[in-house]
Amino acid sequence: MAQMITAQEAAEAMFNMVKEAAGLRKLKPMDLTKNLLELFGDRVDKQICKEAIRELVESGRCVYTYFGGTYLELPHREGAAND
Amino acid sequence: MPEPTRKRVTDIGPPHYEQFLPPAIKENYGKWLYHEFVKPGVLMHVSESGAKLFTVRAGGSRLMSIQKIRMICDLADKYCGGYLRFTSRHNIEFMFTDPTQIDPLIADLAKIGHPVGGTGRSITSIVHTQGWVHCHSAATDASGIVKSVMDGVIEHFTHSDLPAKCRIALACCLNMCGAVHCSDIAILGIHRRPPKIDHANLKKTCEIPNVSASCPTAAIRPGTVDGMPSVVVEEDRCMFCANCYTVCPSMKLNDPLNDGVSIWVGGKVSNARHEPMFSKLAIPYLPNNPPRWPEVTDAIINIINVWKGHARKNERLGEWIERIGWPRFFQMTGIQFEKLHIDDFKHAGLTFKRSAHLMF
Amino acid sequence: MADKLPPTPKLDELEKGPWPSFVSEIKMAAKSSLASQDLLGLLERSYNEKIGHWKHGGIVGVLGYGGGVIGRYCDLPAEFPNVSHFHTVRVNQPAGWYYKTDALRKICDIWEKRGSGLTNMHGSTGDIILLGTRTDELEPIFAELTAIGFDLGGSGSDVRTPSCCLGKSRCEWACYDTMALTHDLTQSFQDELHRPAFPYKFKFKMSGCPNDCVASVARADISIIGTWRDNIRVNQDAVLEYTKNGLNIQKEVIAFCPGKCMEWDGKQLDIDNSTCRRCMHCINVMPKALRPGKDTGATVLIGSKAPIIEGALLSSVLIPFWKPVAPYTDLKDLMGRIWEIWCEEGKNRERIGEFIQRMGMGNFLETIGVEPIPEMVAHPRENPYVFYEEYLVEDDEEEGQDKN
Repeated sequence: MAQMITAQEAAEAMFNMVKEAAGLRKLKPMDLTKNLLELFGDRVDKQICKEAIRELVESGRCVYTYFGGTYLELPHREGAAND
Repeated sequence: MPEPTRKRVTDIGPPHYEQFLPPAIKENYGKWLYHEFVKPGVLMHVSESGAKLFTVRAGGSRLMSIQKIRMICDLADKYCGGYLRFTSRHNIEFMFTDPTQIDPLIADLAKIGHPVGGTGRSITSIVHTQGWVHCHSAATDASGIVKSVMDGVIEHFTHSDLPAKCRIALACCLNMCGAVHCSDIAILGIHRRPPKIDHANLKKTCEIPNVSASCPTAAIRPGTVDGMPSVVVEEDRCMFCANCYTVCPSMKLNDPLNDGVSIWVGGKVSNARHEPMFSKLAIPYLPNNPPRWPEVTDAIINIINVWKGHARKNERLGEWIERIGWPRFFQMTGIQFEKLHIDDFKHAGLTFKRSAHLMF
Repeated sequence: MADKLPPTPKLDELEKGPWPSFVSEIKMAAKSSLASQDLLGLLERSYNEKIGHWKHGGIVGVLGYGGGVIGRYCDLPAEFPNVSHFHTVRVNQPAGWYYKTDALRKICDIWEKRGSGLTNMHGSTGDIILLGTRTDELEPIFAELTAIGFDLGGSGSDVRTPSCCLGKSRCEWACYDTMALTHDLTQSFQDELHRPAFPYKFKFKMSGCPNDCVASVARADISIIGTWRDNIRVNQDAVLEYTKNGLNIQKEVIAFCPGKCMEWDGKQLDIDNSTCRRCMHCINVMPKALRPGKDTGATVLIGSKAPIIEGALLSSVLIPFWKPVAPYTDLKDLMGRIWEIWCEEGKNRERIGEFIQRMGMGNFLETIGVEPIPEMVAHPRENPYVFYEEYLVEDDEEEGQDKN
């Protein structure tokens, strides 16, 4: 039985994916989960991914955004924003 | 970033409905036997226990101020022990057990400008979207058309004088937040021109890969325009959903020259008699003519009058059209049939007339 | 502040006429709200120019939630600074839209202090809509709402706020307790409602009978419509009473019966319940004489949506007859299986109805472990392009061989 990664580790991996995709591609929460399952195989499961996403959002490192579908992104000033 | 201001409470969900139920409702929950229409806008529900509950239904505008909500609360305090409810179509319902309260309440509602009706064979409040009041992709205003149409058909709200009920709905673009596509009469805002791209600012305000990815029909690709990195739109693939504008304010779809309204008829959601049906295109384009959209209002009043004059009792608009046939609908309403009425998207062939069952 | 209202000759036209005027509502709110004052000016401008002046804000929200706030910015912030931000807050309504006035007044007080004072009672999905506030007010609004027992509703790719007709609370036709089911599902799916994890939105709507007063068949991914399996309950004396009062049963009831299952001989109404389609028409016309049967429950349908992206769909039958019994574990387990496959294989912005069309209803049913039955189709397939999944080979004629 493989040693499971922690939600913290999962969050870190997800954060890096979001950071690398910033400006190029928007990632949905499910994309991140799928990427992690691919990356860590049976060392991660959907519940850990769910906790990781919650950790990312509640710490403010990532935000949910909505542009015709929900994505996870780095907090940033959007094109439409006014002061 | 928003900062938490105190210990945050989350995921509590809505309050339990039970605390908001009037005592007469709580006592007779699940025990109702039948109902009667006392008069337009007034219902009487009778319980197995013999208890009677009277409901007065007042028409409301969907856009409502807190000042008005407080006035309505005052009436609910005065007549209903502090309880009230809203319907799925923005009507306000006052419930009580003493029938002598009906007329005084109706008089008080009239004082604050709210008519009573919308029950039985009537037109009730129009469900609608936000329009120019709040929406970024609106092809028309919602509240203004709704107000104008309701002013024109209010006699059918206050009197149950139609062959059957008639549900009108408005969506201010084809995204249809209001899901109007199964209404007796649907008013649909339409864009007719692909996005006008602000090439000078697009790169500054938006991420080009994301703009390109936003298009459901893959009509947008990255490209260089006048030496500037931007996007190019394949215009004949655009179906005017505005998702690109949602992602990027430099892809403006709204266009005063081309935006307008289309009218769709004959849909229903109820299973009564005929199965649920989609609304079908009656009028492909009417101009935006604020503040009162007379072309839209006249078109709807005309359709209602022709239906009212010819349908059998109980026949909703779509059921009547099905009986008399679409050729006669166009003939009787004087609406011109044209190329745009014929579907040309997926499975369009299913909408062609595939028999010799014709009426002359 | 009232004397500062901008001139609005076009909008003023919409204060005339008998129907309640939204312009008067904005003017009322403008007495104590600068945002509503600017909204009047901006809307007048839209009425002159025939164009809207809003931009979509996709990032604003409250910490931790991916839904409940719709971002809006005005595209003329210099001229209309008080609607520079004009975000909407969706507040999850109590099931059935019943209120006590003290609860409504508390919401009004919060919204007077922290927003435009404008609302929708209610939005299309069912939420209380608080229309127009600034980004920095969102967290305080959320904190004050939860302090009085309210929470935000759904938006984005999540479970949208479930809604229902008033069901057994005031309707004799309700075949199950719509409000109880709605409240239970809303509470059970709080995480799915607040933390979007789906390919796109997912809506539940509960109607107590086939009249479908909340239009669930047209706009819910899961439409739960009350029905019954046994016989329509008939009170023959009451039927007679209706005819004495002028009802023409032949013309107004029997002629419209889609099952052609009724006969009337002037004294007795006979119903062949085996071909009754549970449409409600006869019951609607004679509510004192006819009632749904006693063996009640619901038909569960799946997949309706508005046109975006692949075209509008109506829901279709998934479970012909379901007995809703709290805590509804069977339904929730089924939802879990549906969401599992949809999240796994659904494309971005693909509603469940579109997903089913793409993968095939048969394959979908197999994946979620539901038996295909004839109630699910209007008729069997007409097209002969059948994708048979197995065939026999010469030396192994006993057993089927999987093509894959």
